[in-house]
Amino acid sequence: MRFVLRRLAFFLVTLWAAITTNFLIPRLMPGNAALSMMARYKGHVNPQALHALEIAFGVNTHQSLPREYFTYLGNVARGRFGISLTFFPDAVSREVLQALPWTLGLVGVTTVLAFVLGTLIGLVTAWRRGGLLDGLLPPIFVITSAFPYFWLALLSIWLFAIKLGWLPESGGYDVVTTVDWSWAFVGDVLRHSILPAFTILVTSIGGWILTMRNNTISVLTEDYVRMARAKGLKPWRIMWTYAGRNAILPNLTGFAMSLGFVVSGAILVEFVFNYPGVGWMFLQSVENQDYALMQALFLMIILAVLAAILAADAATAMLDPRTRDRT
Amino acid sequence: MSSVGATEPLGTTPTGPALQVAEARRGVGADLWRAVAHNRKAVVGVALLTFFLVLALFPGQIAPDDPMAEIYSPGLGPSIHHWFGTTAYGQDILSQLIWGTRQSVVIAFAVGGLATAIAVLVGVSAAYLGGIADGVLSLITDVILVIPIFPLIIVIAAYEKNAGLFTLVVVLGALGWSYGARQLRSQTLSLRNREFLEAARVRGERRFYVIIFEILPTMTSLIVASFLGAALYAVLFAAGLQFIGLGDPNSQSWGTMLYWAENNEALGANMVLWAIMPGVCVALLGAAFAFLNYAFDEISNPALRMRNLDRTRVSARRDLGFADVPLDSEKILEVRGLSVAYATHRDPVVAVDRVDFDLARGEFLGVVGESGCGKSTLLYAIAQLLGPPLSGEITEGQVIFKGRDMVTLSQRELRHIRWREFSVVMQSAMNALNPVLTIAAQMRDACEAHSGMSSKEIASRSKEVLRLVSIDPIHLDSYPHQLSGGMRQRAMIAMALLFTPDLIIMDEPTSALDVVAQRSLMVQIKQLQERLGFAAIFVTHDMSLVSHFSDRLLVMYAAQVAEFGETAQLFDKPLHPYSRGLLEAFPSIRGPKVELLGIPGLPPDLARPPAGCRFSPRCPHAIAECRVTEPRLLEVDGELVRCLLYENGARLDDHIVDTAMAVSPEAAG
Repeated sequence: MRFVLRRLAFFLVTLWAAITTNFLIPRLMPGNAALSMMARYKGHVNPQALHALEIAFGVNTHQSLPREYFTYLGNVARGRFGISLTFFPDAVSREVLQALPWTLGLVGVTTVLAFVLGTLIGLVTAWRRGGLLDGLLPPIFVITSAFPYFWLALLSIWLFAIKLGWLPESGGYDVVTTVDWSWAFVGDVLRHSILPAFTILVTSIGGWILTMRNNTISVLTEDYVRMARAKGLKPWRIMWTYAGRNAILPNLTGFAMSLGFVVSGAILVEFVFNYPGVGWMFLQSVENQDYALMQALFLMIILAVLAAILAADAATAMLDPRTRDRT
Repeated sequence: MSSVGATEPLGTTPTGPALQVAEARRGVGADLWRAVAHNRKAVVGVALLTFFLVLALFPGQIAPDDPMAEIYSPGLGPSIHHWFGTTAYGQDILSQLIWGTRQSVVIAFAVGGLATAIAVLVGVSAAYLGGIADGVLSLITDVILVIPIFPLIIVIAAYEKNAGLFTLVVVLGALGWSYGARQLRSQTLSLRNREFLEAARVRGERRFYVIIFEILPTMTSLIVASFLGAALYAVLFAAGLQFIGLGDPNSQSWGTMLYWAENNEALGANMVLWAIMPGVCVALLGAAFAFLNYAFDEISNPALRMRNLDRTRVSARRDLGFADVPLDSEKILEVRGLSVAYATHRDPVVAVDRVDFDLARGEFLGVVGESGCGKSTLLYAIAQLLGPPLSGEITEGQVIFKGRDMVTLSQRELRHIRWREFSVVMQSAMNALNPVLTIAAQMRDACEAHSGMSSKEIASRSKEVLRLVSIDPIHLDSYPHQLSGGMRQRAMIAMALLFTPDLIIMDEPTSALDVVAQRSLMVQIKQLQERLGFAAIFVTHDMSLVSHFSDRLLVMYAAQVAEFGETAQLFDKPLHPYSRGLLEAFPSIRGPKVELLGIPGLPPDLARPPAGCRFSPRCPHAIAECRVTEPRLLEVDGELVRCLLYENGARLDDHIVDTAMAVSPEAAG
């Protein structure tokens, strides 16, 4: 029970820290970026909405800071993030919900895919220690893990879209296709997702391969692996249920910890490909000084990371009986 | 992951604690550089980093042109004058790349330094202070770790456009320390209760002093890793920020070059190198840090280093004139001239040196000796359980088990006789049982590997063997960590009995337990052995433990057999001075009180065994010849003993009279 409570405290504190950061940054930064943004709203939104925006950015509030803070917390809790300037007069929350499925589909699926594939490759390279795969892959992936995501995105656009013309250059779907659940549309969406997915996969898979390889090598020196050999188990059985099952546990923790990094890269990939997800919208909002939308998207990104960590926690509890007993 | 030597598994280290301590110390100082020079990835990393450092320091001398001067035709292709062509503004791309190096390098080192300083401060103090301070600091670390840094920086930069270099460094540094802090915290926690820190505390040294002078030096590789990791991420993030236009658009940096290239659609407009080369530079500088990081991981974690045994360097063997035991088909096991060598970073270490012995059906053989004398290695060599992943290899000799030489069997052939015909019990069941599988599952996989038993039969057999070791079968569904130490140990023994094998090889199966539990488990093992009739090889460093249970004793010293004979006879009249010392080191259960003498000194470093008799430096009876001539294994009173004092039918006691008067101080110590 203590373990669950501690994790719960961690999630709440992280969420609180993110919301508070949102609240504090506009108040701490010099200049009047927020003020000039507010001017653009004047006369376009009703007084009530304007007041909520004023509280969010600390402009003309005539209130004490703690009061502003609690009003802001209340607004956030009810999902009131204000009106978007970029997509005026749509509510920010509506825009966010529209972008979310694109990012979950692209970044979510590729990240999980990269983790699963990378973990498997790492396990096999460590198991065949000193083999061809083991000599070749680690140095290659040390290099790819140092590739800037956006640069690889640029290169793949140049090669596969501009030079070879195999795949579309940018966007989430062709503007001429009708948006519905037809095969044509789904196929179009898939075709548009290949290049960005490839970019994310190539740059993020290296990390999982290398950590899983090193975890497995450490696990292979454990007595229980020697015991499994003493028992005369088949090699693949030792690899899966003795080496793999134990080596993946620290990798799951690593998954949770490096999500922030993956998300950062994914934002740039969406930007380069003009992919209509949360990351692209996030950078659009920055460019348009649409701070209300930006704040909401920032929170959304952190919520997504926390949800993924929760999933990693659940997977760890499922695979490791020792964590279960700590609950 | 951990400091040098800390992850060496128990019972498999070739050379005992002395070398481990030495290795741990070596990991810090000048040998770090030697290790770097021997690691290919480290060499590549250092070379790349040096290259960029030179560019960053002397761009004016190296670059052919002023990077900002718009003096050439726009969009030129690569040529001898412009290696990488020109930009859409007619600037020389090569010159821009060279001048851009400085900013990336400065960001990398500044952010790396800042983040590492915070990581050390937070990580070490959290672990060292403990309690509430640790709780709060760890929570902060974890929160910062999961907050995606890049979006946060973008949020900050959104309010302050065109953030300067200083802002960038401070923000990246202030957010990039959490991973390092987490690693350093757990490393400090593992060090906290080590002896040298206890000693410092007892000496009354201040916390601050202890942290700076005692803890930090042992974590050099982790601190370096933390620096490299932060530097890598700083290079990537800074380039990303500048690329999306959140940096100073007039600064000279790779990220800014990419920003302008993208804005001018360089890729579509055939100025491909304008967009490619800055990315190549970022990737190469990043790769320099990534390679170094990876290399340091390898250097600090011995398990990651691979060593191949160079058989030609196992020194040429001398003929020691082995006492030849004739082949005997009644024997279940015959070990002949068995040698095992480990690869180390220097010469191979011979951890088992030409060991001979045999074992009859149902016989109980005790193998005794101090830690680091090679007895565990001997066991694993017999069971064919040396590397991989450990680097130990059988270099010569035979292990004839029921008529087959196991050394020459293939892995597949070995697999068929494993567990059915011989099984293994290890020192610590906590480590030897798979922590994520239930006891039942671990029994089941062994049964499935060797028989067509139905799951019903497997379940009933599992229950049966648990009852044999007096464990309630209800514990079949338990995970190892849910059992007590004694129960785990019994469960492992039960597992070894699944097929009632002819031979069970036991590596100190009781030494993880307290004295009372040790006794009762020992009695139970003996009862099982008498009832089921298996032969056993039982390794222990506690001679008194096996005295009532073993039929014969094999005394090992420094990788060699020192003495081999009937337990009763060996206890009554030990021949080898080492056996005498071992017996005197343990209190006798019966008989008159005698002073416990023990053996002065430590077993030798097997990488450099002493000349002549390996025991001579510690032997109270050593004569001058002992330091020169390596003794043979002699047959004396039906036992085997490796001691020069028994040459030509002489006895140790004859020499004691001679030498008692003239024991040199050197010989005594």
